[in-house]
Amino acid sequence: MLPYAVSIKYMIGGYIVIFAILFGYLISLFVRWRKLRQDLRTLEEMQKRQ
Amino acid sequence: MERESTAYFKAIGAIVWKDLAAELRSRELLSAMLVFAMLVILIFNFAIELQPSLRATITPGVLWVTFAFAGTLGLNRSMAIEKDRGCLDGLLLAPVDRSAIYFGKALSNLAFMLIVELIVLPVYSLLYNTNLFNPGLLLTILLGSIGYVAVGTLLASMAVQTRTRDVLLPILLFPVILPILMAAVKTSGGFLQSAPMETIWPWLNILIVYDVIFTAVAFMLYDSVVEE
Amino acid sequence: MRSQPKGLTFMTILSGLLFLGALWMVFVYAPLEAVMNYVQKIFYFHIANAWVGMLGFMAAAVAGIVYLVKKDMKWDIVELAAVEISLVFFSITIASGSIWAKPSWGTWWTWDARLTTAAILEMIYLAYLLLRQGIEDPEQRARFGAVYTLIGSLSVPITFFSIRIWQTIHPAVIGAGSSSAVGSFGMTPKMLATMFYCLGTFSVIFVTLLWYRIRLGVLAERVEQIKLQVME
Repeated sequence: MLPYAVSIKYMIGGYIVIFAILFGYLISLFVRWRKLRQDLRTLEEMQKRQ
Repeated sequence: MERESTAYFKAIGAIVWKDLAAELRSRELLSAMLVFAMLVILIFNFAIELQPSLRATITPGVLWVTFAFAGTLGLNRSMAIEKDRGCLDGLLLAPVDRSAIYFGKALSNLAFMLIVELIVLPVYSLLYNTNLFNPGLLLTILLGSIGYVAVGTLLASMAVQTRTRDVLLPILLFPVILPILMAAVKTSGGFLQSAPMETIWPWLNILIVYDVIFTAVAFMLYDSVVEE
Repeated sequence: MRSQPKGLTFMTILSGLLFLGALWMVFVYAPLEAVMNYVQKIFYFHIANAWVGMLGFMAAAVAGIVYLVKKDMKWDIVELAAVEISLVFFSITIASGSIWAKPSWGTWWTWDARLTTAAILEMIYLAYLLLRQGIEDPEQRARFGAVYTLIGSLSVPITFFSIRIWQTIHPAVIGAGSSSAVGSFGMTPKMLATMFYCLGTFSVIFVTLLWYRIRLGVLAERVEQIKLQVME
């Protein structure tokens, strides 16, 4: 039986990595969305002026 | 119908002939590939201890890595020449099915690769005192090169049209031709060590299956890659 | 494109709830495994991500074929979204698998069929993204992307089987005898239930993320179009 201290350490490490990648991606989606929205607003204004 | 098929084969022949004739005059492609292949073998000499006892097991690996890298060079140059000289546009205007262009280019790429391989073999044999004139090995080299060139021609046609060009082809090609590399190395090793056919056969099978599937798929997809 | 469709809001809430449920299943419901103790719990999310990643890859290939047949840009957006999310799921798979492997097999990595194929798959995804990055014309990008997805998805199964055959001749796993991790411990019914629950959860999460990513792709396309109009 793998000692508790070792086992729990790796499990926590594993889940931290899983969450980091998953939520990191969600954040990247959100950031990209916001940036595109901003670009859209800017471009639409430029279009109005034309 | 008769005339259509002869026109098709004539087109393929014309492309192959054009490439071979051009190469005969300039020799830029073959010399680049050969020098590169020799350098790779040289580097291997220092990177891996090619002791006599290990040679039998390492030779197939060294050979196929060399061929894979030299092959990339050839594919890149071959398609780049096509694009740079505007030959591709000329070929596309011809009233022949686009797949003829694919077969033509693939065949000439195959020819160049085989020429390089056939020169590397005796050189390697001399340098490492190993007899590589084994009919099984020659068959393997042929089959492996066919698969490599089948996929490589398609991917090179794509890569040459991107901004990143030369760098992109190996990135696209290598993950996809791993089955060929594995099967070719195993088959070559088997033939060189005169292993029983039952051990070689599964690998030879993979090689043949891969060749058939990917030549068919690449031929069907080529149209999508050269539209203008 | 202004507000979120109700369906998506529903999927998001569902995903969140299922995910919380999955955490409960993994950490509370599922029993401790006899040999590996706590670290085995990584397995549930690891397997879920692996399976869904594979399905995502196949979805990308199908989207590619449909694009080549119909030439409708919608399918290109779907294909890119599927590849990107599968890439994320596979990254999770490889990372979690590696962390699970260290205490289980004594090594962070081993060149067995599954791991090697997973690594190759990641490389094909990355090659796909690099290919797209190097092309400016959207139509050409879509065409080439679809072609590469097809070639990639055809080669992966052949690669997997080739490595398997390679391995039977040269078993190269250090440590544990069998490198097929799933079979290395017996699963009680509760564990099985947890595994299937996580599989379902991540499938729902995949679809939700796909939907979001497709919306992002549509927005990106719109921005590109207006950009071209304004620059003229």
